[in-house]
Amino acid sequence: MTQEQPIIVAKHVSKIFTDPVEFRVLDDINLTVDRGEFVVLVGPSGSGKTTLMYALSTLDTEYEGTITVDGTDIKALNPNQLAQFRNTTIGFVFQFHYLLPDFTVLDNVSLPAIKAGLWSPEEIEERAMKNLTLLGVADQARKRSSRLSGGQQQRVAIARALMNNPKILFGDEPTGNLDTKNTALVLDILQDLKTEFHQTILMVTHDMQFTERADRVVAIRDGRIIQHEQQ
Amino acid sequence: MISRLRNNPLIKIAWVHLVSKKRQTIVAMLGVMFGVTVFIFQAGLLTGLQNYFIEKTVNTTAHIHIYNEVRAERPHVLDNVREYDATWKVVRNQKPRDEERRLRNGYQILRALERDPRVEGVAPYLGLQGIVRFGTAQQAATMAGVDIVREDQLFRVRENLIDGDMLRMQTIPNGIILGAGLADKLGVQVDDNIAIISSKGVVLDMKIVAVSKTGITAQDNTRAYISIRNAQRLLQQSGAYITDINVRLRDVNAAQAIASEYQARYQYRAEDWVAANANIFGVFRIQNITITFVIASILVVSGFGIFNILMTIIYEKMPDIAILKAMGYRNKDISTIFVIESLVIGITGGLLGLLLGFIASMIMSTIPLNIQGFVSVQYLTINFNPVFYLVAFGFALLSTAIAGYFPARKASRFDPVEIIRSR
Repeated sequence: MTQEQPIIVAKHVSKIFTDPVEFRVLDDINLTVDRGEFVVLVGPSGSGKTTLMYALSTLDTEYEGTITVDGTDIKALNPNQLAQFRNTTIGFVFQFHYLLPDFTVLDNVSLPAIKAGLWSPEEIEERAMKNLTLLGVADQARKRSSRLSGGQQQRVAIARALMNNPKILFGDEPTGNLDTKNTALVLDILQDLKTEFHQTILMVTHDMQFTERADRVVAIRDGRIIQHEQQ
Repeated sequence: MISRLRNNPLIKIAWVHLVSKKRQTIVAMLGVMFGVTVFIFQAGLLTGLQNYFIEKTVNTTAHIHIYNEVRAERPHVLDNVREYDATWKVVRNQKPRDEERRLRNGYQILRALERDPRVEGVAPYLGLQGIVRFGTAQQAATMAGVDIVREDQLFRVRENLIDGDMLRMQTIPNGIILGAGLADKLGVQVDDNIAIISSKGVVLDMKIVAVSKTGITAQDNTRAYISIRNAQRLLQQSGAYITDINVRLRDVNAAQAIASEYQARYQYRAEDWVAANANIFGVFRIQNITITFVIASILVVSGFGIFNILMTIIYEKMPDIAILKAMGYRNKDISTIFVIESLVIGITGGLLGLLLGFIASMIMSTIPLNIQGFVSVQYLTINFNPVFYLVAFGFALLSTAIAGYFPARKASRFDPVEIIRSR
């Protein structure tokens, strides 16, 4: 794989919900995302944008068509290979932070790296501290994650998502629960990641501020891509 | 901290889950503990009592008992002539033949048995029913005509004496040893003179030389030892007349094989101790089956306790499970967390149960109870066989593993997308 090849290639992706009634949530989606690109998926609720994000991010493999991430056909992986692939290739930030409440911030951030098993405990701590510093929450490292404010928790969640140097960072309304100030902070951080570290980012959002900062805005309605807006 | 986490974050997650549900975790552990305690206590108590009884029975039952089996029923006399249709047989009230209960050549057999290297001891026996009379008090008794030294070698007569001296049976020609219950009922003690009367109407004056208490109530209430010579006199028989030979073997487990060998050789019934006590062993088996069910149901209930707490944890920690899966933890990692939780409950509860069961057994074995019943014992004899402890712990682990398996599997199959999207 050379750097020039797109990191995500989705071809003819369709998905049908049958419950409660048959409903075509994704209808023949074709999408490519280049390395280092900051892509935002927008659309009204029920448009299928979140479903598409979960399919692209390998969490959901129940669809028709093919999705290739970093040269790997996702459907060809068994559940264990898929878990490992997610661990090393993909980072997630959700609307809710999903930190383990009884663990310290440092432990929470370390979890993906421990699973990867590539570094020594000292290296893991160093990486974790580096990421926490990047996100401006290094001073909270020894606290229990449940004692942090909402904005701090979301930043810790981003630090955790970056722990294994993911090739793609996926976000599902990552600022949905944040106030204006924290939203701005998270946006700045994401932009820095993109510009300084060439981090590929794919976000689902309602927030129009994202669309201003993204390289590309993909609008979805009724399971179809209706607009590619290159910025 | 980090190094512990790195070594196994799953263990830490499991630990945090259990600690966050302290009360329920403790209740689940107590469930397992209670099951194991009851198992150990009950098994120890029951088999202790059974072993005590078996020991007593083995000590009072010959390993092999040789006697002349008199059959009350015999073929109809007319059947010996030719075969008749049932309606033609008209001779009624055919009496049993007056067969002698004696062992012919009893003493020759006795001496032959003594030369058998597998035999530890042989004792002749002549039993009869009679009445013991002391003034106006009288009691029915089973007179055991024995050679007291040989009898002692087989049945440890001396160990059971609570008063008097066994060997006076040899120095006094009319000595008698009474069971403790029998002596109580008559109101007699050592050195009192009593009369014994046989069914043949023979009366002998006897002197009590000792009182014996075996702990088996039925025996202590009816048994009296007299010499073989006196037994023969009560039955008006000559000096070679004996009805039974009791054999003690060096290896008690060989009894069955040797018994059938003797039966074939001497043409008398030779019964081993297991067959003689078949009814008791039957009761023991029923007891053991019952107790197994009781214990099994306790462990099943404690298993439900574990199942319950794990299901609660799993539903509460669904977000944790979802994010762990999203960051690349495998299904197996997730189920490992909950298996660890159930094992922690099982092992802790099990170990506590072992300890408590042991303590309860120790305490129980030191409390004097003075039970007077089927057997009379002063202290409960409790079996501290380590096998019970192993089996109890094994069962505890098994039931917790089964109780933990299903919640663990359920947790590992959660779809993270469903959990995350439903928030």
